[in-house]
Amino acid sequence: MVVFTFLDWFWLVAFIVLMIGSGALFYRLGKRSESDFFLAGRGLPWWLPASSVYATHTATDTPMWVSGVVYRHGLAGLWYGFFAAWCAVSAFVSTKIFRRSLAYTQAEWQSLRYGGMSGELLRGWVAGWQVFLNMFILGWVGIAMGKVCFFLFGWPTWIGLVLFSSLCAVYVLAAGFWGVVMADFQQGIIAFVAIVFVSIWGIHAAGGPQTIVDKLAALGETSKLNPFAFTGFTTGDFPVAWFVTMIVIGVIGGFGMATAIDWFPEAQRIQSARSVKDASWSIWAGQALVVTRNAIWAAAILAFFTLYPNLSEVKDYEMAWFRLGFETLPAGMIGFFFAAIVAIHLSTISTHLNLGAVYITRDLYHHYVNPKAGERRLVLVGRVGTLVLLAGSFVFGSIMENITEWLIFALWIMAAGVWLPGILQVVWWRFNGWGYLSAWVFNLVFSWLVVWVLPAFGVLPHLRDYQQFWLLMILGAAVFIPVTFATKPEDMDRLVKFYVMSRPVGWWGPVRREAERRGLI
Amino acid sequence: MASSAKQWTPKEAEEWTREDTIAVVISPLVYILLMLGTALSFMLRPIGFVALAAGVALLVVLVRVIDPKLSAVSKGYELRQKQYIEDLERAVKWEG
Repeated sequence: MVVFTFLDWFWLVAFIVLMIGSGALFYRLGKRSESDFFLAGRGLPWWLPASSVYATHTATDTPMWVSGVVYRHGLAGLWYGFFAAWCAVSAFVSTKIFRRSLAYTQAEWQSLRYGGMSGELLRGWVAGWQVFLNMFILGWVGIAMGKVCFFLFGWPTWIGLVLFSSLCAVYVLAAGFWGVVMADFQQGIIAFVAIVFVSIWGIHAAGGPQTIVDKLAALGETSKLNPFAFTGFTTGDFPVAWFVTMIVIGVIGGFGMATAIDWFPEAQRIQSARSVKDASWSIWAGQALVVTRNAIWAAAILAFFTLYPNLSEVKDYEMAWFRLGFETLPAGMIGFFFAAIVAIHLSTISTHLNLGAVYITRDLYHHYVNPKAGERRLVLVGRVGTLVLLAGSFVFGSIMENITEWLIFALWIMAAGVWLPGILQVVWWRFNGWGYLSAWVFNLVFSWLVVWVLPAFGVLPHLRDYQQFWLLMILGAAVFIPVTFATKPEDMDRLVKFYVMSRPVGWWGPVRREAERRGLI
Repeated sequence: MASSAKQWTPKEAEEWTREDTIAVVISPLVYILLMLGTALSFMLRPIGFVALAAGVALLVVLVRVIDPKLSAVSKGYELRQKQYIEDLERAVKWEG
C-alpha cells in the first residue's frame, strides 16, 4: 500500500477538479444538438481529435499490456502495438472516404454503402455489437482501475470501478463529445508528461541508459535491445511469420474500414474534424503519438527488467511501469503520478460512454424508433444511453474475471474473418451487403471451430494466432465471395451517389463511368 | 521537391496519383522510425538518434507531398458539404 502526503492529495484533487470542470464547462455547447452531443458540431481543428485519439488509446490497462510484451520480448515487443499502422495508411485513404460520407458511425455508413434489407441488417448488427462492446470495454478498463486502487490503497476493487467511472460520467452527461474531447486534450497532456517523466525517472533509478545496456549484456539479454530479434521463420516466441502477418494486417488494413477494433472510436473523431484534411491529420498524428508513447514505455520496461530480471508471473511483470513510478518517485510526486493514471483512465472511459451512446441514439433510437425526434429529445436519449452504458459497465466489471477470455475471443474474431471484407467494401464496387453480412455470420462459426471446437476434438491442431488469422481469412473468403456473386449488385443509383460523395479508391470502374455519363463528376 | 509546389485543383486532387502512393509508402515508415528511434534514443543508442532524425525528415517529405493535395480535396468537398448533410439526414431515415 502507498501512503499519500498532503501534496499527493493536493495533486489528485486539483487534477480531478480540472479534468471534470474542463469537460463540464462545455455543457451549453453539448446540449445544442445531436451533432454537438456526439460530434462536437463537426468543427474541430485536427489537433483536438488527434489528442483524443491518443488519450483514448492510453488506458489504465495499456501500460500493463505493454509492460508484459516488452518484459518478455524486449524491444521486439513493440510490434505487438504496431497494428496502429492502419492509421498511417488510412489517414490518406479510408479516413478521407469515411469523412466524406458524413456518417455519424460505422453502422450508419453501412446503410449508405449498402441498400435494402442487407444494409439495414448490417446497420442493426454493427450498432448492437458496438453497444455491447463499448459496455464491455468500460467494464474491462474500469476493473483495471479497481485493481490499481486495490494495489495502492487496499480498497475493494468495485470502489475504483464505480468511483472513477461515475466521476467521468459527470462531464460526459453534461457536455457529450464536447466534454470528452476537451477533457481528453488536457488529460492527454497530463498523461504524456507523466509517461515521459516517470519513464526517465525509472531509467535513472536503474542506473541510466549505459548501465541498463551493460546489465542486459551481463544477463545475456542483449537481444532485448534488438527490435528484430526473430526466433525463426515459424518457430519460437517471435517468428518472422507473425511479424509479417502483423504488418500486413496493419498496413493493408488501412485501405479498409472496420479492419481494426480502434476503427470505431476513430470514426467518431474523423467526423468531428472540421474538414477532410483535419480528419486525415488528426488520425495520423493521434496514432503516431500512440506508437511513440509505446516506445517510451518500452525503454522504461527495459530499465525495470534490469532491476527485476527473474519475474516469471505475468501479474508481477505486467505492473512494471506502475511499480517504477510508485517505488522510485519521491514523496509528493506519487499523487501526481496517480492523478496522471486517473487522467489516463478518464480519457478512455469518457470515450466509450459517449461512443456507445451514439449507437444507441443515432443508429437505434433515431433510425428505428423515432425518426422525427427533435434535437432536444435526441440529446436526452444520448444522456439516457450514457447512463445505461455506465450501469452496464458496472455489471460487466464485476464479472470480468470470468469473461476476459471471451472478450479476447470477441476482439479476435473482429480482426480475423472480417478484415478482408472490411477492405473489399471500400475498394470493390461489386462487393455487396449480403457478402459482408455472410462474412460476419460465418466468421462467428468458423472462429469457434478453428479456435476452440476442432482442436478440442483433435481434428485440427492448436494453431498459432497468425495461423488462425490466415485460415479464418481463407475460410471466410470461400463463403463471402460466392455469396457476393450469387446475389445482385447494390443498386446503381445508390452506388453512384456513394461514389460521387465519397470518391472511394480501387475497382469502381462501372460506377465511375455511370457517374460520368450522368455528368456528376 | 517539385510536387510540393504543385497547385492542385479539386478535380485533379480527387484522382489517385503518384503522391498518394508515396504517402501510403512513406507514412508507415515514419511510424516505424519514430517508434524504434524513440526507444533506442532513450537508451542513448546512436542508431536510435539516426532513426529518429530519419523519421522526422521523412515526415517533412510526407507533409510536403500530400498536404497540398489534401487541402485541395478539402476545399472542393466543403463547398458541397452542407447539401450532403441535408441529403444524409433524408437518406438514413428508416422507412419500414
